[in-house]
Amino acid sequence: MRTSLPNPNSSSKAQTAFRRRVVAVWGVLLALFVLFFYTFNLKISYMVEKFPALAGFNLSANDFLQGAALTLFVCAVSIIASILLGTLAALGRLSGSSMLYGMATFYTSFFRGTPLLVQIFLIYIGIPQLGPVPEAIPAGIIALSLNYGAYLSEIFRAGLISVNKGQREASCALGLPNWLTFWKIVLPQAMRFVIPPTGTQFIAMLKDSSLISMMGVAEIMFLAQAYGRSTYRYLEMLTTAALIYWIMSLAFEILQSRLEAHYGKGFRDR
Amino acid sequence: MRTIRNLSILAAASVALLQPALAGDTLDRVMRKKVMIEVTDQAYPPFSQVNDKGEVVGYDIDVAREIGKRLGVEVKVETPTWEIITAGRWKGRYDLCVCSMTPTEERKEVLDFIAEYYDASAVIVTNGDNVAVKSAADLNGKRVGVEASTTYEKYLNKNLSIPGAKQQPAFPFESVQIKPYESEVMAFQDLGLGDGKRLDAIVANYVTAKDQVDKSDGKFKIVGEPVFHEPIWISADKDDAEWNAKIKEIVAEMIKDGTLAKLSEKWLGADLSPKS
Repeated sequence: MRTSLPNPNSSSKAQTAFRRRVVAVWGVLLALFVLFFYTFNLKISYMVEKFPALAGFNLSANDFLQGAALTLFVCAVSIIASILLGTLAALGRLSGSSMLYGMATFYTSFFRGTPLLVQIFLIYIGIPQLGPVPEAIPAGIIALSLNYGAYLSEIFRAGLISVNKGQREASCALGLPNWLTFWKIVLPQAMRFVIPPTGTQFIAMLKDSSLISMMGVAEIMFLAQAYGRSTYRYLEMLTTAALIYWIMSLAFEILQSRLEAHYGKGFRDR
Repeated sequence: MRTIRNLSILAAASVALLQPALAGDTLDRVMRKKVMIEVTDQAYPPFSQVNDKGEVVGYDIDVAREIGKRLGVEVKVETPTWEIITAGRWKGRYDLCVCSMTPTEERKEVLDFIAEYYDASAVIVTNGDNVAVKSAADLNGKRVGVEASTTYEKYLNKNLSIPGAKQQPAFPFESVQIKPYESEVMAFQDLGLGDGKRLDAIVANYVTAKDQVDKSDGKFKIVGEPVFHEPIWISADKDDAEWNAKIKEIVAEMIKDGTLAKLSEKWLGADLSPKS
């Protein structure tokens, strides 16, 4: 929001007024939204009763994480794994080796070119035919990591080539070793372009993780469906799930804007 | 050249991975681990449903627990989506499916059907305001909701044959507009919107349908006679004759000593267990 203000020279007073108006717009839209849901004639007491289970405040019947806590756990592991995969695939694509280039392009092509739902089924039902039988949660993490790693590799590649060649040449002229050039010169500049689309990907992953409910993983969507179908309060549970996903996405958005501000330091208006 | 060598290593590694895994011996595994894994639908009340504590309970679960008790093992319940269950090739992930499954020719190719444990009839459910649909013949051209990949969907497609049924279903309609749903509950949501709003009727299991009708305050009704009867069987992954024999023996005992009838009364409100 800082850089998108109408007038870059506006005073802090104008900024405050702008923010206040944005908050007012949000408030009105939110009120209308709540009113819209109010017309569904939902049984609020049931939503309140099941909220702690969906949010994962208590453990499941078999003493493991459930609901939002499980969703966050699955996403956290998948985020780390997909960053690693994405980096490897991006470097593979930028490398001169035909082998690495071929593997990287094959990987991104397949995992960007097929639906995540199909990949989840293929991994869960397909891998056991080779021998190892993955549990539902690891299978879900594998599917999410492979899928998002493919998308991230393209974002990372775009970030790396966005840094002007002159930067690398200047660094070389100063006698910096290759790794230091990458770490201190290229990476911080690439990060500025990589953070916003990467943040968007992770917000998307948060919600795509609902697909692993197909394997019986007790995350938010699974619980919402299980409770909803068992008690015929489907709409109540879906609304509760939507609310929880939205709150978590907001948290991700805030985190992203913080990171963006950090790596955009050099470009801030003074 | 190096690329070609690397490629051949890659190919060799893939071939090694593709060696077929040996079929696991279900009975050995269950008795060794002292755990039997029951697989069923997450919510198909009253056969399986989630209670307030988040545990899966219901008729199917109680039958599985009784089998586990008689085997002397603990029972764990897994609830993946129906497609994963019916895909078969479980590779030791699940041991037994007491999951309200009807044997069909296609399913017999990927799963073994072991023993019948209740009789289910399929009925037509309509909105309370409906007057047009009175029997299966009236379904012609109508929009009919069913749970996807079920025998009800096959019935509407006119290609259902039930191995072991006393009477094969009749199809007194030309064609219907089938609306498959991932879950039957979604179909009931749509039928509840009003007569003919999104659906004209639903074809479903009598027991689940009755549950919906009873809770609906006149919003739904069951019309006409049951459109077909089907025996519901317990199934397992293919090719473990010893496991199948053991389960068959236990189910026969449960029918004989009245345990199955008692569980059926408890959950389904009537004795639908097969008579020995």
